[in-house]
Amino acid sequence: MTEAMLNLRNLKVAFPCPAGMIRAVEGIDLSVKRGECVALVGESGCGKSVTALAVMRLLRTPPSISRVDKLELDGVDLTDWTDRQMRDLRGKDMAMIFQDAMTALNPVMTVGRQIEEVYQRHTRMARREARRETIRALELVGVPEARSRVKSYAHELSGGLRQRVLIALAFACLPKLIIADEPTTALDVTIQAQVLDLLKAMQKEHGVSTLLITHDLSVVANMADTVYVMYSGKIVERAAARDVFQKPRHPYTQGLMASVPRLSDRRQMFVQIPDTVPHPMHKPTGCYFHPRCSRAADECRRRMPRLETLESHREVRCWFPLSNPQEAGS
Amino acid sequence: MIGLEREAGPLLEMENVSVNFPVKKAYPFSRRRWIQAVTDVSLRVAYGETFGIVGESGCGKSTLANAMVGMVRPTAGVVRFQGADLYSLRRREFRDARRNMQMIFQDPFSSLNPRFSVYEIIREPLYIRGGATESAMKARVLELLKLVGLDEEDMNRFPSDFSGGQRQRIGIARAIILNPVFLACDEPVSALDVSVHAQILNLLMEIQRSRNLTYVFISHNLAVVKNICDNLLVMYLGTVMESGASDAVFANPLHPYTKALLSAVLDIDVDGSRERILLKGDTPSPIDPPRGCRFWQRCPSAMNGCAAIPAPLVEVEPGHQVACHLVSGFSREQLAAGAGEPVTSATGS
Repeated sequence: MTEAMLNLRNLKVAFPCPAGMIRAVEGIDLSVKRGECVALVGESGCGKSVTALAVMRLLRTPPSISRVDKLELDGVDLTDWTDRQMRDLRGKDMAMIFQDAMTALNPVMTVGRQIEEVYQRHTRMARREARRETIRALELVGVPEARSRVKSYAHELSGGLRQRVLIALAFACLPKLIIADEPTTALDVTIQAQVLDLLKAMQKEHGVSTLLITHDLSVVANMADTVYVMYSGKIVERAAARDVFQKPRHPYTQGLMASVPRLSDRRQMFVQIPDTVPHPMHKPTGCYFHPRCSRAADECRRRMPRLETLESHREVRCWFPLSNPQEAGS
Repeated sequence: MIGLEREAGPLLEMENVSVNFPVKKAYPFSRRRWIQAVTDVSLRVAYGETFGIVGESGCGKSTLANAMVGMVRPTAGVVRFQGADLYSLRRREFRDARRNMQMIFQDPFSSLNPRFSVYEIIREPLYIRGGATESAMKARVLELLKLVGLDEEDMNRFPSDFSGGQRQRIGIARAIILNPVFLACDEPVSALDVSVHAQILNLLMEIQRSRNLTYVFISHNLAVVKNICDNLLVMYLGTVMESGASDAVFANPLHPYTKALLSAVLDIDVDGSRERILLKGDTPSPIDPPRGCRFWQRCPSAMNGCAAIPAPLVEVEPGHQVACHLVSGFSREQLAAGAGEPVTSATGS
């Protein structure tokens, strides 16, 4: 038994376009320990979802070109697996919860049938048995009247229920790894709280490792053990969740945190990170974050910093990392 | 009545406004059903303030905003803008009033015409109003582009070239080109990345300060509302649950729904000290809503009487109203009928 459930080394994904090459992911390392919840955080367009799809091996070539040194799930190297092998694996050992439940579910198939399919595909269950399991799975995620809900179509369910169905779908075969791509972004606040609590409970109960992808740091604070902050295709900071929130070391992480509006204070202005993520075809020289960074110096404009270990369990890609909590809080 | 009375009178006033939409009949002779999107809402928005409307999707926030700016005629009630009854104005007067009120939409991807250049989008209101030369319009668009933080070169590009935040800036420029006095912002940041929220909110506040605008700000994010609103209204299934000065409501939330909303806001300061109130189930359908308090099915402290008896909006302190039986109490007769007993069985939807 290895300690890491998911072990990803040097993943690169690019999309060749007529106008140039879009480097969506530029060599990232990522590992998820057994039973751990790891969050991958960043703004839109930083390569989070592409990373998730690459781990699931769901990216088609063409249009994408991807290369990875190592992709291990529970000690098994998946790098050279064929599509057929991957199909046996997806849904069974590795499953994904998508952001938009309406488009992730098949609109012309009852939700029950879609979950049954997972059981029938991956276990030797007969249809009737699969139906029974489906109802059980739906009850487990708190779908009321599961017995009649199995016959509903996606459009007949509310957003919260749809997301629950997706969770039931992902947890159906108790996979080793769940990848949740913005699982609550499309939901209302009270429903978001429900769904996050459910996800957390399911994860704890079954000891499933989770890779959570989100742009919302408040979700991370409530779910994750370890945080990877991604910017423009590269990891810029990795640390335990508690450490990240207490003292971010990368200016980008600090900016992300400061921009979350809080209930605890009343201000006139919100703290903002100026500007936007660079276009993936026109990334700046040096550190990709330097045009938006208040601490940028000549060094930052010239050379890309390496991801360096600053303290135990902490890596930061910055020439001038924030040093201590006092400074980080200013 | 909501908000403090100012000398000049309110800019916008709604009195017992209800908006119903007919549901398409399943069969020709089946009973006509109505979606009661907004029921009996009264509010006052003073000059220069930011008035927040808070609630989850389907609670009627957007319908209320549409009724404010003259896009949806209320089924009942009066909307007064600068003292004039908006929906009984004559066509020309109505058009003039509409110029003073503009809207910023939630989804910057569907609210901009993809076949218009940025220039055409921002110019559109001026163009429709007429009376401006091409060069004057160009100068004005340029000025606004700068104001919202875009470049001159962006003028001839198309919405698809921009990120969500930049598109929202275009929407803002379009909304203020006619120098309105009132802006209804319908979830202006909820479709955007959290890191971009701050940029857009700051821009909106800057514009408000420099042009002395009045905002109605619709949101489901209480942390944002707390930061920018003077007064607010908490809505659920088309009715007002709680309203008042933002400071008063946040200091002392009284309605169970407000409390639940507040507790559901995820904070990044995790210390586990805050208790989370988890609501059961989803928002029920606004078609034939419950007769009594509309929140009772999901309310953690629902009593027997809540299902049948509507809760009146009562003033608990100056400028702070709550519609909840926990606050207003039941009458003697109602109590005798068992209205105050706790609901025994779990009756969540």
